[in-house]
Amino acid sequence: MDTFDLFSMKGKNVLITGGRQMYGLGATLALADAGANLYLASHSIESAQAFVDQLKEEKGIKVQAVAFDQGDIGSIEQMFKTVIEDGGSLDAFIHCSRIIPRSSMPPRPNGTAWDNADDALETNVHTNSAASIYMMQLAGEQMIKQRSGSIVAFGSMMGLIGVEKHNYDGNPNMAGGAYAHSYSVDKSGLAAWVRHAASYYGQYGVRVNAVCPGGLQSDRTNPVFAQQYSKHTQLGRLANQDDVRGLILLLASDAGAYLTGLNIPIDGGYTAI
Amino acid sequence: MNILDSFSLAGKKALVICPEHMYGPELVQGLIAGGAKVWVAGAKDTGLSGVEGFFPYNHTDAVEADKLVDDAVAQMDSIDIMVENVLNMDTVPGWSHDFATINAQCQVTMRGMMNTVMSVGRQMAAQGHGSVILATDYGALVGYDAQSYADCPDFADNDFSLIRGFIKGSCVNYARQTSNYLAEHGCRCNCLALSPIAGKQPEAFEQAFIRHSQIKRLITAEDIAGALVFLASDASGFITGHTLPVDGGYTAK
Repeated sequence: MDTFDLFSMKGKNVLITGGRQMYGLGATLALADAGANLYLASHSIESAQAFVDQLKEEKGIKVQAVAFDQGDIGSIEQMFKTVIEDGGSLDAFIHCSRIIPRSSMPPRPNGTAWDNADDALETNVHTNSAASIYMMQLAGEQMIKQRSGSIVAFGSMMGLIGVEKHNYDGNPNMAGGAYAHSYSVDKSGLAAWVRHAASYYGQYGVRVNAVCPGGLQSDRTNPVFAQQYSKHTQLGRLANQDDVRGLILLLASDAGAYLTGLNIPIDGGYTAI
Repeated sequence: MNILDSFSLAGKKALVICPEHMYGPELVQGLIAGGAKVWVAGAKDTGLSGVEGFFPYNHTDAVEADKLVDDAVAQMDSIDIMVENVLNMDTVPGWSHDFATINAQCQVTMRGMMNTVMSVGRQMAAQGHGSVILATDYGALVGYDAQSYADCPDFADNDFSLIRGFIKGSCVNYARQTSNYLAEHGCRCNCLALSPIAGKQPEAFEQAFIRHSQIKRLITAEDIAGALVFLASDASGFITGHTLPVDGGYTAK
């Protein structure tokens, strides 16, 4: 067998959340290059259509936008139903999306940056932690029936290490990130759940892994932060969208058939020093 | 200075949250054995001996957490040690749950832990000292071994609860994250990852667990007390953000 064939996703049905932005976009493009039948979970099917058409034209693959609202459990259930009825199987579930509450991290009345607002914690636990667990359960149910499948969740470097406060020096408006409670709890929980779920799903031939990216360079990245952050990495830079492509394909495809229960950092060596 | 003096909890006041869950009695008695005065807070008073007082505590929201700290400081004057044991609550068995079940347990444990740590941490920061210890089990560090349940399949549903691993592991990086702020104020945060206590599981599971361990027995109350007193005391004054496995080497292989 040609080694490159192991990475092929031809004929495989893949559902991806958050697949139009940031790291999710890199993941989508990698899966499209590999020939997957893609289901793009989208808050608005209308707004996703141009991207869907572009992928079809450029990559020659089957792509479909599926309605998805991470805060609406009925929408999540309908999304899985739609994909499984349409595709007949779910070979990989790539979960990239994360909801940032509108009131994310404001202090309590008279509080400090340490005091995250309780309504933001409640929303984070509901929509990011609990809803993600539920989605992965629904994906796993189908994969158990198939006796195969790969779940790839987006963890974070911030599920593996504590924050470096000095990365925010000179940017007081970013300093709240140094005290974000729910992000570290969510990503830490996910890191352990990946091992927990891999233990459970292993008997059914289903794999569960997490990719754990570091900071992403974008046109909105504060240059002072980027400089300070990059000094803490071994490769001396922030990540870009393309950095996740190889790992996503490895974990989603048969090339990663013996990989399960892993949290793999994509962070330029940030967590290694 | 005699190094043994740094282990002493004499004169320290400790608050143990949710002693009604697994490991709760051992955590309370361990602190008392180390010389601390111990108050407890939780859904119900379990009547543990040697405890100074009990605070009813509905473990989820910020208002309750702030009230707990106000009530505790009124009685204790200071909170030198806080042990959060909510992550060791029983999770709903089995792998298939409706969303409401998943969310309810996540809110009580994870949101509850965050609000408790936030409120107690603010108090400790004002004091300029304090040790926070988040208690969990070895599932925070490794997946449960499906082979350990081969001869006791009914028990598998207990540990292979869908949400269990997420909850157990949620504290590991939280300790690292909160250490950032707490250290600025002379305070620390660590985790204890404990292995099963003898007699709480089927014999077949316990034997399978021991077979995989390097030290061929299960955890004792003294094992818990030793690690707990270390993390609570000045003997660990330069340790923060750490998860200490107390598991006979189970997670080391």
